[in-house]
Amino acid sequence: MNPMFFQQAPAETTSYMIFGYALIFGVMFIYLFSLAVRRRNLLATLAMLQELEKQA
Amino acid sequence: MQPKPVLLVYLDGFTTVLFVLAVGMVFFYAPTEAVMGNVQRVFYFHVASGWVGMLSFMAAAISGIIYLRSGKRGWDLAGLSAVEIGIVFIFINIATGAIWARPIWNTWWTWDPRLTTATIMELIYAAYLMLRQGIEDPDRRARFGAVYAILGFVSVPLTFFSARLFRTIHPIVIGTNQPGAAGDFDMTPRMAQTFMFSLLAFTFIFIDLLWHRIRLGRLEEKVEQLKLKMMV
Repeated sequence: MNPMFFQQAPAETTSYMIFGYALIFGVMFIYLFSLAVRRRNLLATLAMLQELEKQA
Repeated sequence: MQPKPVLLVYLDGFTTVLFVLAVGMVFFYAPTEAVMGNVQRVFYFHVASGWVGMLSFMAAAISGIIYLRSGKRGWDLAGLSAVEIGIVFIFINIATGAIWARPIWNTWWTWDPRLTTATIMELIYAAYLMLRQGIEDPDRRARFGAVYAILGFVSVPLTFFSARLFRTIHPIVIGTNQPGAAGDFDMTPRMAQTFMFSLLAFTFIFIDLLWHRIRLGRLEEKVEQLKLKMMV
């Protein structure tokens, strides 16, 4: 039987909720950040290549 | 480089608003579950992440089929982009599931059929990225990737139905729970509204991210083409 069956009030599980949402927001932020960094690096490389192409 | 399309600018804004509203509903609109307490709020984004993951893998399989039929490289890029997004969201799904399980099942992890199939699904698509890394020829890479994405999709319905077909303690939202399911609950109307709204918000997040990832892929291709041109 579920040990929470006889309880009178909701279980105190707020810390797990905070942990869960910190992970959700954290992973989503890291992915968005990685997209932005990859894009910035590619644009820098593209600008450099276009400059080299002009000089050649 | 092409400027950001106006539609994408609006989509970014609309998706952000939906996401903020979904977060607001999770914390301020949905009631606290009577038995589990606040950790039950993880459920809304846990399921929505799983939905995005499965949607991504389905998009990758469809892109694979279209690529094999048309040979257009854009579909290969769409498939790769979808898989990358799917891996991120299935990771969120599995990790938040473990966090929820700790106070409810009294363990971070158990080799339950649903947890096991979800992990296998994640590993199958992680292997997709590794497979692509190992193939130099772009056409061959695209062809192998397409076939792999189609075959790998078998893991998606297997994961979805695992909680319905096998003996499991994992609760299910739609349908009847198994007798041994632990942590199931009846949704109040506010809970159901928050759940449906989270699914909607995450669907738009998927579309928005997919568009951005495809644009990034096009930029990568442009850089590669320029590099090749300069080497000749």
